[in-house]
Amino acid sequence: MNNIDFYKKVMSVQNEGIKAAVATIIGTKGSTPRRTGAKMIIFADGEIYGTIGGGCGEGEVIEKSFSVMDQGIPAQHQVDLTEGLFYEDGGICGGIMDVFIEPIHQINIL
Amino acid sequence: MISHQLYELLSEALSKKQDIALITITKHPDLSYVGSKFLLHKNGLLVDENQFSLGLQSKFIEYCLPILKQHKTKTVPIPYNEIQIECYVEVFPVPSHLIVAGAGHVSEPVAEIGKMLGFYVTVIDDRQKFANDERFPFADEVVCSSYIDFFRNVPITPETYILLLTRGHKFDVVSLQELLKREEHLEVKDRTKYIGMIGSRRRISGVFEQLKSEFTDHNFINIYSPVGLDVGAQTPAEIAISILAEILKIKNASSGNSLKEKISSYSQLKFRERFKNE
Repeated sequence: MNNIDFYKKVMSVQNEGIKAAVATIIGTKGSTPRRTGAKMIIFADGEIYGTIGGGCGEGEVIEKSFSVMDQGIPAQHQVDLTEGLFYEDGGICGGIMDVFIEPIHQINIL
Repeated sequence: MISHQLYELLSEALSKKQDIALITITKHPDLSYVGSKFLLHKNGLLVDENQFSLGLQSKFIEYCLPILKQHKTKTVPIPYNEIQIECYVEVFPVPSHLIVAGAGHVSEPVAEIGKMLGFYVTVIDDRQKFANDERFPFADEVVCSSYIDFFRNVPITPETYILLLTRGHKFDVVSLQELLKREEHLEVKDRTKYIGMIGSRRRISGVFEQLKSEFTDHNFINIYSPVGLDVGAQTPAEIAISILAEILKIKNASSGNSLKEKISSYSQLKFRERFKNE
């Protein structure tokens, strides 16, 4: 899927007034499942559209995005996949990703 | 989040095939700026809804324009009057153009997979019965025209990938001749990177026997015939994968080998556990 189609989806979510957030990988170090630019939409019920790589790292981002959509303020989250190769299902890639999470309905704090 | 107005401007630039970047402020000491977005065109025009000062605008242009020109989406720190700003610069390059000449069985999965890979896909055939949107719902454009007229006029750039898969070898050859004629007038760096032509070894040797005397100023290095990587493809879908794997290999300047070939021996691999604060 190309990026403009992703934003088209974001626009339709925005129009429908649905509570959601967008997470974007804005930087990576080492080996990560997806590169800079990968994006997903997270809905209030935990459903997602798109992926930033799956696994525990994605789970962390989903958790974090709930507070972002509640507060209406963007946040950054760093996913660290370097710890442990064989713990649970995470970490097999061994890199770090910086993820920017923003609410689809931003609260204007100006 | 992106506003409707910015989204419309972004779509418009893309439909006009203009390179553009969507920029998000991801760090700023004044939190009200975090999440703000603006657009930057290749000519340096900045479209901003936040009324940034002229000084800040020119700083954004100075740091973000080179990223747009390199077509490399990334995050950049920007120092400005004692403060540190960070911007995520998402580049929307004009999609590469995949031209599929011939609307036969192989062309259907080629058009579909090509679209999935993000190409702008054009299918061309000289028969109305074959060149129609019903058969190619995934193509961006289905053209019914003679091959010669089409290839005489279609814009060609290094981001144009051409496949000659017509019903008869003679149509492939006339199309190729038309393309070579045009490319001879271009610098090597401005020519296409890939012209794939289907065909057997015997046929190809016959064609090049003729072409090498006709086109003395063309090195033929961008011609791939027979088409595709050797994955044993037989069916139209398999052939489409083989062809598009070859196109990706050229587009991404990669080897096309199995990635495991980068590892000489599994038993000699070393893994070192890493911990936080290390």
